[in-house]
Amino acid sequence: MSSGLSYTLVITGAPWSSQAPQTALAFAQELISAGHKIDRVFLYGEGVHLASALSTPPSDEPDWPGRWVDFLAESQTPGIACIASALRRGIVDANEQDRYELGANNLRQPYQIAGLGEWVEGNLKSDRVIYFHGSH
Amino acid sequence: MTTLIVIDQAPYGSWAGREALDMVFSLAAFDQPASLLFTGAGVNWLRKSQDASGIGQKTVEKNLSAAPVFGVEQILAEQSACERYRLGEQDRLDGVELIPSVRDTLDRFEHIVFAG
Repeated sequence: MSSGLSYTLVITGAPWSSQAPQTALAFAQELISAGHKIDRVFLYGEGVHLASALSTPPSDEPDWPGRWVDFLAESQTPGIACIASALRRGIVDANEQDRYELGANNLRQPYQIAGLGEWVEGNLKSDRVIYFHGSH
Repeated sequence: MTTLIVIDQAPYGSWAGREALDMVFSLAAFDQPASLLFTGAGVNWLRKSQDASGIGQKTVEKNLSAAPVFGVEQILAEQSACERYRLGEQDRLDGVELIPSVRDTLDRFEHIVFAG
């Protein structure tokens, strides 16, 4: 399937307050089934809440953060949370915990925290960049 | 290939516009061409002499004034929205280019990002 396209997906809507993560996941799964490649999933703005390791929905409700990390692991897709968006909203990894002397960290594996440069690289290298917003 | 960032929400109500502006500055920092388009209530970003101290925020005017310095190519604004919000030439920041048709402007860009 070498004819597939490469994609960067940008999620700016949070789970439960928007449908963005759910729609993005369905889209991502279809991309892989159709033979395309996802270079990275970039969480921005409210989208970083998807990377909280502490979200714990009731067991009879869909677990969107859990389903997303399962997909990232299975498809070996890098998941990145924007550092500025994440720090504002209380999503931190061990490095940022140390840097800001915080009492805990809560970045869900396998997400990584990085700058907007990752998004810029997606603009340059991916064939398509698709956005999943909470409010539009 | 120039990326167009579209802001269609008034300033201060949410952080989405500021975060969209960060995207523009980030592109410029990596020497990637970027332009801004303000539509609808978003044109209020361009109003001169803003004072956000009453809501405990910094004005967005300073951030926007820095856009040309950082290499943002164009700051575009929807003409009809400027009229609707009574944003005349003397009320607007310098260097803003009015566009008569949002649709025609969007057609000129291959890569468009709406503020989330």
